[in-house]
Amino acid sequence: MWATNLRIIGVVLGTLALYTLIANKIPQVQSEVPRALSLGANVTPEQLVSAGDQLYHGAGGCTACHGLGTRAPNLLTDEKGQGPVGARCGKREAGKDCKAYLYESLTSPRAYVVAGYEPIMPEMGRILSPQQLWALVAFLESNGGTVDVSASDIPSSTTSTTSTSSTPSAGIAGGSTDPMTIIRGAGCTGCHKINGEGGAIGPDLTHVGSRLSANLIRESILTPDAKIAKGFEKFKGIMPKMFGNQLTAAQLEALVQFLASHK
Amino acid sequence: MRTYLRHPFWQAAGLLVLAYLVIAFVIPLLPGSAMVPSSVVLQYMATVLVGILIWVSDEEARWTQFKEPLHEVLVQPRLKMVRNGLLAAVTLVVGCLTYSQVRASVAAPPNLRSIHPAPPPQITFRGKTITLVGLDNPLRRSGDMAAHLAVGRRVYYQNCVPCHGDHLDGQGHFAAGLNPLPANFQDNGTIAQLTESFVFWRVAKGGPGLPREGTPWNSAMPAWEDFLTEDEIWSVVLFLYDQTGWKPRTWEVSAEAAK
Amino acid sequence: MADGMLLLQAAADTANAYRDFPWIGSRAAVWIAAEVHLMFAAFVLGVPIFAVVAEAIGIFGKDQRYDRLSKEFTRLLLIAYSATAIWGAVFVFLLSTLYSGLWAYLTRIFGPSMWVYVSIFFLESFTLYLYYYGWDRWKYGRAKIVHWCLGILLNIWGTIVMFIADSWLTYMMTPPRDITPQTSPASIKIWHAILNHTWMPINIHRLIGNVVFGGAIVGAYASYRFLASRSDEERAHYDWMGYVGNFIAMSALIVLPFAGYWLGREIYQYDQSLGITMMGGFMSWLWVIQAFLIAVLFLAGNYYLWVGMGRIPGAERYQPYTKWLLVVLVLGALVWGTPHTMIADSRELAAMGGSHHPLLGALGVMSAKNTAVNLMILATFLSFLLYRRANIRPTVPWAKAGTRIQAAMFVIAAGVVLFFGIRGYFVEAIVRIGYSVYQVGAVLACIVFVTLIDVLMARGAQSLGAIQWGKMPPRSQYALFILAVTFTWLMGLMGFARSGIRQHWHVYGVIQDMTPYAATPALGYAAIMISTCVLIFLSLVGFIFWLGGLAEKSTFVPSTVEAPHVGH
Repeated sequence: MWATNLRIIGVVLGTLALYTLIANKIPQVQSEVPRALSLGANVTPEQLVSAGDQLYHGAGGCTACHGLGTRAPNLLTDEKGQGPVGARCGKREAGKDCKAYLYESLTSPRAYVVAGYEPIMPEMGRILSPQQLWALVAFLESNGGTVDVSASDIPSSTTSTTSTSSTPSAGIAGGSTDPMTIIRGAGCTGCHKINGEGGAIGPDLTHVGSRLSANLIRESILTPDAKIAKGFEKFKGIMPKMFGNQLTAAQLEALVQFLASHK
Repeated sequence: MRTYLRHPFWQAAGLLVLAYLVIAFVIPLLPGSAMVPSSVVLQYMATVLVGILIWVSDEEARWTQFKEPLHEVLVQPRLKMVRNGLLAAVTLVVGCLTYSQVRASVAAPPNLRSIHPAPPPQITFRGKTITLVGLDNPLRRSGDMAAHLAVGRRVYYQNCVPCHGDHLDGQGHFAAGLNPLPANFQDNGTIAQLTESFVFWRVAKGGPGLPREGTPWNSAMPAWEDFLTEDEIWSVVLFLYDQTGWKPRTWEVSAEAAK
Repeated sequence: MADGMLLLQAAADTANAYRDFPWIGSRAAVWIAAEVHLMFAAFVLGVPIFAVVAEAIGIFGKDQRYDRLSKEFTRLLLIAYSATAIWGAVFVFLLSTLYSGLWAYLTRIFGPSMWVYVSIFFLESFTLYLYYYGWDRWKYGRAKIVHWCLGILLNIWGTIVMFIADSWLTYMMTPPRDITPQTSPASIKIWHAILNHTWMPINIHRLIGNVVFGGAIVGAYASYRFLASRSDEERAHYDWMGYVGNFIAMSALIVLPFAGYWLGREIYQYDQSLGITMMGGFMSWLWVIQAFLIAVLFLAGNYYLWVGMGRIPGAERYQPYTKWLLVVLVLGALVWGTPHTMIADSRELAAMGGSHHPLLGALGVMSAKNTAVNLMILATFLSFLLYRRANIRPTVPWAKAGTRIQAAMFVIAAGVVLFFGIRGYFVEAIVRIGYSVYQVGAVLACIVFVTLIDVLMARGAQSLGAIQWGKMPPRSQYALFILAVTFTWLMGLMGFARSGIRQHWHVYGVIQDMTPYAATPALGYAAIMISTCVLIFLSLVGFIFWLGGLAEKSTFVPSTVEAPHVGH
């Protein structure tokens, strides 16, 4: 009888294992909760802060510069004894409260470059929706300060989606096709050195044309993590992936040809 | 030879081999066919194997006869060589399978991409909210059909043809470079299965508007709402159906709507 | 305005009204509790239906064996009943403590129906006790009829209880269209909430599903006792019982897809994106797994019949044909399981020109699948027919003509199925959907008329010898186990599909799930959960079976009457 019982258990467990295995063998798709920020009329500060947190560490690409090295001020930790950004933002510009200052720093970063830093930050309004920007502001405020972003700051969702999608994409630096203007405008020199100008986080681009073909340069701009230059493996993931969206085709081509000719 | 042919064990083995040959080699040779993906080959072979096992065991006499060779190989002293060879072969096969499973390869892993993900109930088109549920092509009810089709044709040849091709079969010049491949409208599995509002949604929102099931490789289809007007999209939808001869899926008339 | 503020407040309260469950998380906890409760509930609702039918056959057919069988079913019911109640309590407590916001919302709408539910549950329990413990007391004459009516009453209570519980879950899935997140739950009329789109389809689907499930579990019970029995008499009895269980499960299974089809249609009609999420969206692969499970059911069910032919004298006349039925079934399973969107790597994708195979892709659409499954149903029905006929030779003068008419009916039904299946490729979708009705109609008509002719033809037929119950090889009994496991697993899978299409909503479009578990898990995770639930359920059921053997001697009585076929 024990043999029979064991056989029954074996058949049952075997059948279950087979079904479970098959279901696990096919590629797995999970239905995620839509991440679209539908920060409606009754959004709570906590929701804004958590959304901003995700943007800061994710799609926003902020950590590429802030909090890493000396290219940009620390935001989440102490900066020159002034505390995290939430504590110091209100004192930066006379007549601007913390909220307004942070928002404008995101949309037109070159207006308020902190002394001692290069103007390398891209205009975040090109990359993020107004809702996302306000979520970021709320998140930054929550670091050392009080969150005073409310639903009334955020434009309603319909206008915001159209404004992001129908903004004429003039490209970086006003659509200029002068390579050096693009390089400065896109903030490349924040990390890369070219002709002696710029930082040393990324590979030196001065002689990049002798190492990479035009195609590889293009690929490296569009998908920076696909191939990492030797010696820079540790910095994988730092270079923002949004240049494909920001540069116009003409600008990208101009930039690629310029770099490829730098032998 | 004849005794082998009559023996259920060898018949079963022969059937299995035959099924494999048909699935893996004959089906791709049929006109208009292509290679069968290995996942499907595996699935078919498993089904056939189960069928064969059922056949050999559903009658007592056949089952006993079927087990004979297996039993003999396992116990007969004279078949010691075969036994050892078989054990070695089984070990080797398991080893090879394991190796091929864990070996790192350069090919991208097979992916599961939902071709027709669920559309949202409504979308925002240039700031205007459009309810997709129950929506029909408004151009079918108004204006001159020929004019709409002319607009659709112009829009198609100005914008869509590089990828979706001259024949609307997804074989445009750029098609080879894209993954996922552009939709083939001639296929009965694409627009023939969909409502016009679904097609409108896909044209308007393109690859960026695909929900997560549409990943991992998002389609390169642009979001045409930035470039085309609502009427232009509807006319190109009209053109697609007119040109391929498919009829769009229509909405079921619900009881409430009929009232 | 003040109302709006209150609602905002309520929404904020709801957002925080969650608690987590240690180790496994609140979603898994509620999942297991609900699923195991549901499995037991399906068992205790399904078994009384055919217990009453068996008792009726016993009374009106004057066959004591059926009466004994019915009593044995009911004895299993008694313990399973308390297990259902225990798991129901676990489920309610988990739901009200872990998801208290949702619970408050639901009680606000459905409160009165919950009170009715409890009182009917109370009545149902007492009817069951009377039914079981009064069995030997009210055994003869008019009292027996009264006892049988008690059984019917038991079913009525059970059905009402299920209908009430269905209204809660269907409301969560398809709340009436006019209810929005701003609607105050207090203002929702209870009947309005109950009469939602999917309430009736789910009721019917579950009613039939319960019978299938009950039959499968009873079959597993019988095969367990068969394998454990020491005497030939006992073995014969449980062999017969296993056959009855399998017969009930398979015949109810044949109508189940139609109820499922109605449900799917209502879901589409309620909200297209719910429907597409279910059939074409991220759940589309669930249906390939379901196809696989159904193919297992068909093959295992037929296998059991074919092996069973070995114990019927005269069956050797039909045995050569089973292999052609097998060919139809295997081909059907191949088509039925062919995915429309195939899993392929980049090389294969390039060769196929997309993820639809240019040739086999045609087998992945609805027309092909409907055709395949209808032919599989016909083949299974033919298996049953051969099995029924195995030990008789009809003596009515028109026997030959009758058989020809039956054969013609099969050919016509298969022809209709194939014709509309192929034609479905050339017409537009809305017409194609209508075709499945013709296919189903042809199959059902064939089943009804062929059975009718067969019953008439079997009158006064010459017997070629009694079925030698008990002379079954053990491997057929394992097929019954596979059937039971597969049915249970399939139930868990379909439950996941039904519940999962809501995605990140508690009440679709009304209350959003704000827990960390809001994302609907992938199939692999769901499969592990389903297997866990099935394992818990089967272990408990195994324990109940063991208790059933422990508490009483087998109810088997040696019978000298020749066993008539079930299904007359």
